[in-house]
Amino acid sequence: MKKIILVISTMILIHTSFAQNRYFTKAGAVSFKAGTALEEIDGINKSATCIFDGTSGQIEFALLVKGFEFKRSLMQEHFNENYLESNKFPKSTFKGKISNIDKVNFQKDGNYIVNVKGILEIHGIKNEIETTGSFKVSGETVLSTAEFTIVLEDYKIDIPGVVKDKISKTANIKVTCSNTVLK
Amino acid sequence: MKNWKKILLGLVVIALAAACYGYYLYNKQPADVRKLPLDYELTATVLLEEFNKDETAANLKYLEKVIAVKGKVSEVKLEPSTGQATVILETGDPVASVTCSFYDDEVDAVKKLNKGEAVIIKGKCTGKLMDVILNKCSVEK
Repeated sequence: MKKIILVISTMILIHTSFAQNRYFTKAGAVSFKAGTALEEIDGINKSATCIFDGTSGQIEFALLVKGFEFKRSLMQEHFNENYLESNKFPKSTFKGKISNIDKVNFQKDGNYIVNVKGILEIHGIKNEIETTGSFKVSGETVLSTAEFTIVLEDYKIDIPGVVKDKISKTANIKVTCSNTVLK
Repeated sequence: MKNWKKILLGLVVIALAAACYGYYLYNKQPADVRKLPLDYELTATVLLEEFNKDETAANLKYLEKVIAVKGKVSEVKLEPSTGQATVILETGDPVASVTCSFYDDEVDAVKKLNKGEAVIIKGKCTGKLMDVILNKCSVEK
């Protein structure tokens, strides 16, 4: 009997300590800029999910491509139909790992610089990316931010000749997620 | 000669009209979802059930459509760093719900919502990730 209680209590203990190390949000913001001097092109998605493990450093993002909002409706149409083909590839994901997660003290409020490396999938194409970001710890909330640039060609996003001067060959992506402890 | 001039004038008018129409299309802003008529009206539970049962069919039915979702608020999330407002609706399913992101000027209405309160939220369905997601939302009731 004692053994069973011991097993159960350790299981609960393991479970809770594990659970408290995971941070999660369904309301992450991911925005991008791919304009040139001729034209401003930017979109924002306000419903990205992000989960990371404060112990292992595993981090994952996912979003729905159709959730990007634009200032002009034509941009949104072209983005979904021609460039990202969101009917064929509705989701975009990132799965990676923070290499210096041990440097982040989740018990102490402050700003921590993190290095992250992983696989970014856009338009059905996977590429490895590496960037630095920051974790701003305040209580049970971690504001994670990162900014990086991708080359559109790497993700087989073809820009037709007519609009080549207006659309940049690269996209600058900005991520802002306010993660809270997953209970 | 006169005919030739008439044709030329006609062509110029057509070209001008086309250019104006092109310019209009180019500058056209995305429609304000709040002003669009509803395509569907249902509860958060039913919406999630339909996506769980057959995601392909649900996508065909609801993607890019304006819907009013009735449900109970399970979480209100306001993000000061980005000014974003998000409401998560209960569905009875412990792992999945309906997530709604709002127009920036709807934030004040979202602030007034309380956990457990029954609401109707209007927005555009963008698909299902973990939750069914609506964007460009507003609080209807």
